[in-house]
Amino acid sequence: MAKARAIIKRLKAVKNIRKITRTMELIATARFKKALDRAADAEAYTRKIAEIVADLSSAELSFTHPLLQKRDQEERVLVLVLTSNRGLCGGYNSSILRILGQRLKELQTQHKNLSLEVSGKRGLAYSKFSGLPVARAFTHFEDKPTFAEVDELATRYAELFVNGGVDRIDLIYTKFHTISRQVAVRETLLPVQNLAAESESASQTTSDYEFLPSAQAILEELVPAAFKARLFKCFLDAAVSEQIARRVAMKGATENADEMIGTLSTRYNRARQSQITSELSEIIGGAAALE
Amino acid sequence: MIDVNMLQLTVVTPETTLLNEQVLSVRFPLEDGEIGILPDHAPMVGRLGIGELIVTSSAGKRSYFVDGGFAQVKGNAVTLLTNDARDLASMPAGSAARLEEAFQEALNRKARTPGEIQARQHDMDRNRKLQALLSQK
Repeated sequence: MAKARAIIKRLKAVKNIRKITRTMELIATARFKKALDRAADAEAYTRKIAEIVADLSSAELSFTHPLLQKRDQEERVLVLVLTSNRGLCGGYNSSILRILGQRLKELQTQHKNLSLEVSGKRGLAYSKFSGLPVARAFTHFEDKPTFAEVDELATRYAELFVNGGVDRIDLIYTKFHTISRQVAVRETLLPVQNLAAESESASQTTSDYEFLPSAQAILEELVPAAFKARLFKCFLDAAVSEQIARRVAMKGATENADEMIGTLSTRYNRARQSQITSELSEIIGGAAALE
Repeated sequence: MIDVNMLQLTVVTPETTLLNEQVLSVRFPLEDGEIGILPDHAPMVGRLGIGELIVTSSAGKRSYFVDGGFAQVKGNAVTLLTNDARDLASMPAGSAARLEEAFQEALNRKARTPGEIQARQHDMDRNRKLQALLSQK
């Protein structure tokens, strides 16, 4: 009797967990759709920025801006890591943290002065566990990062870079390629690289532009704007990827629970049957002994 | 396609596309003064200032607030890239008081580095202009 009851208890527990994971999957799906819409909305801005960059480069202007200058000696490196605040999203955080680990080792062997900034509780827990000093921690970036929040961060980075506080800023985040493909990557945020290269995809039609007040003044404003837009896009990408990762993880969990419910039910039925059989044979045996 | 006597106006912020429609004319602030654009304007790229964007469409005039960025005029397409854009008509009541508060906060904020000073100046400008625009209504 005890065995059948133990199985039933487990079965109930699995069913409850399945309900939870199924709900989490649905929530992640809804959030993912919203995040994807936001990312799609934001893309118009980046595309337009790229277009203006293309227009500027057609004006044969030399691109010189403090944010574009690569330093010969990259002594102080800042690494920003975007992780999630919550777990239960499969390999999302671990693949980011693996890249972070590699990067840290690389920097340590080169004896660079490192400052680490982490967004997301998961990343913070990791750095605490491995004893890494975190210069700044952010936990307010949820699945809806706003431009104002990112802007604040970007402005500080730009300032830090220009006045020589850091020589290079790296970003580790999950890049969103397609719905079925997201990859954890490390990218260099500052100095801004291939500003012109990014614009190659933009329209190549050249028209004679009038620049007001001047091409140089526009460039001065454009480079920080492009940098901010890029950082914002990274945050949005990370948010979308997190929701996808969570959805996939929860889908897997639900499917596993389904499978477990199946095997547990079979086992319960078998246990129940054998129990009845043994009870019957006991009764028959008892009756036979009385005769 | 775009009508000959119309402008295709697109206003995009980093978060969303606020406007994408055909209009008769637009007026918006550049860094050093206001500019008006009518159909068949010469190609132009300009730096936006802070202030009012006035859109004249066949349905009438509407005004928006834009906060810095870029303007691009290409053929009959006008694109404004701005950090923040909002519809002035849909600003909630009581926002004037909040703006005043924000302005005072910016005014009293301590700023040391050039970046901070610039940010403070920008916040003050922005709040003052928004207040002025709201009181005009």
